[in-house]
Amino acid sequence: MQWAILSGIEGNLAAYEAVLQDIRQQRSPVTALYALGDVIGLKGDNEAVIRRLQSPRPGELDPQVCIGWWEEQCFSLHGLSGLPDAPELMAQFGGDGVKQLWESVSRESVRWLRSLHFGFHELDCLLIHGSTVSYADELTPGTPAIQLCDRLLRADANTLFCGRSGQTFHLKIPEGAVTSTVTTLDAAAQTMTQTVRDRQIVGVGSVGKEPGKATYTLYSPYTNAVSFRTVRYGTQGKGFGAV
Amino acid sequence: MKLAVISCIHGNYEALNAVLSDIDAQKADQIYCLGDLVGYGPYPNAVVELIRSLDIPTVQGCWDEDIVEGLNACECSYPSQLAEKRGRLAHEWTNTVIRPKVREYLATLPMTLRLDNLCFVHGSPNSQHEYLLPSMDSFAALERVLSTDADVLFCGHTHVPYVRNLGDGTLTVSVQRPGKDALETQFKTPVKQIVNVGSVGEPRHGRPNATYVLYDTDTAQVELREVPYEVAKTCMAILEEGLPPIFAWRLARGMEFAERADDPSHVCQR
Repeated sequence: MQWAILSGIEGNLAAYEAVLQDIRQQRSPVTALYALGDVIGLKGDNEAVIRRLQSPRPGELDPQVCIGWWEEQCFSLHGLSGLPDAPELMAQFGGDGVKQLWESVSRESVRWLRSLHFGFHELDCLLIHGSTVSYADELTPGTPAIQLCDRLLRADANTLFCGRSGQTFHLKIPEGAVTSTVTTLDAAAQTMTQTVRDRQIVGVGSVGKEPGKATYTLYSPYTNAVSFRTVRYGTQGKGFGAV
Repeated sequence: MKLAVISCIHGNYEALNAVLSDIDAQKADQIYCLGDLVGYGPYPNAVVELIRSLDIPTVQGCWDEDIVEGLNACECSYPSQLAEKRGRLAHEWTNTVIRPKVREYLATLPMTLRLDNLCFVHGSPNSQHEYLLPSMDSFAALERVLSTDADVLFCGHTHVPYVRNLGDGTLTVSVQRPGKDALETQFKTPVKQIVNVGSVGEPRHGRPNATYVLYDTDTAQVELREVPYEVAKTCMAILEEGLPPIFAWRLARGMEFAERADDPSHVCQR
């Protein structure tokens, strides 16, 4: 059993095709494909990517797609969730960005995106765009350690796969401990030590953000092995060879 | 300096008066209030006016927020479905009787207040609706305090007072990035503290007495205080105002008879 986990296609169909090609070439077959949000964006052909995700070719895996930051902006524009008029999108990309996103995703596609999950719990893993706190929660190796620990505990998972940062990283928490003493009106102080052991957060990379270079993650649930793939494609790369 | 920290008054003027008298007797230098001035109880306007007249620094509670913005939280506003049903009745009554000036004041309240190494919130630093229960995962509890950059986090919302010290925190983190060597770091956290100050006007610790906290900023000493008051007077007023009798019944016993929430740390995504 091997999973391919990706995020951030951002409308970049060529990048997604290159990743699918790389997945097909794996010696150990990929048995599940997860797309952790941001399948749409501003630069590419959002409709083409959505159609490709909706209709895998014969023999291809059916991708399991969840909602990301860009999808949430789209819902906000269409008045389907969050604050109206996508203030986050407006603040980051201005009126042009708002117009572009509005025009590049059809109503039918918005309805399909709206039907997607917020994340996936599989075995002892949570696969999600940001974290259970928010789609916008950006976890990186620079995030305070206690916050990373908190996100794992909230997720109720041993492994948290996320895509918000677009970075590839494998962060392990082999051990941790904290002593807690609680005093109430009716009970004298009671002390306990809580430990955490062998949890991990994996940043799965970004397929479409950087032109010519797609990154994604392979994971074997039985062995807990994580490996990162970098796929060069198009004119800016050197063919389709994976690094 | 001796601080008195009160929370969750819930329109209970009798209880507030008794607690303020006790604070006077204890010679506290400053009072802080952690919100929920209104809801459940029969005197929301009088409570807010008293807090304002004493110029007590106050943060906004979840009930105050709901009166300002309307009931738009998800199910996480209440610890159970039963509590939600009762809470809606109380909200509707409060929303009807609240004066415009009082509503305006509630809208101005901040989410957090700071005093040196102390932070004051209603529920948690994340949300007025999050319950920091004493049984909360220790790492999650530590994260809530660390996120404020304070040493002591004062909260209310659960209506049951407690003091929680979080010490000897260690976390080992190893990061592997493609093409780079793994980097292992060990983090240690200093002792942090959560002080839940209970509830003045709707206590749920098993007795009807009002609860609040005294804190000495020089010695870091915490004292959980329990103050008797004329509960029967508030209970009678609840009945006379036509509020659900269950509020009077449970106030007289100091308990919330409802099942626990599945996920008290859930953060409302309204």
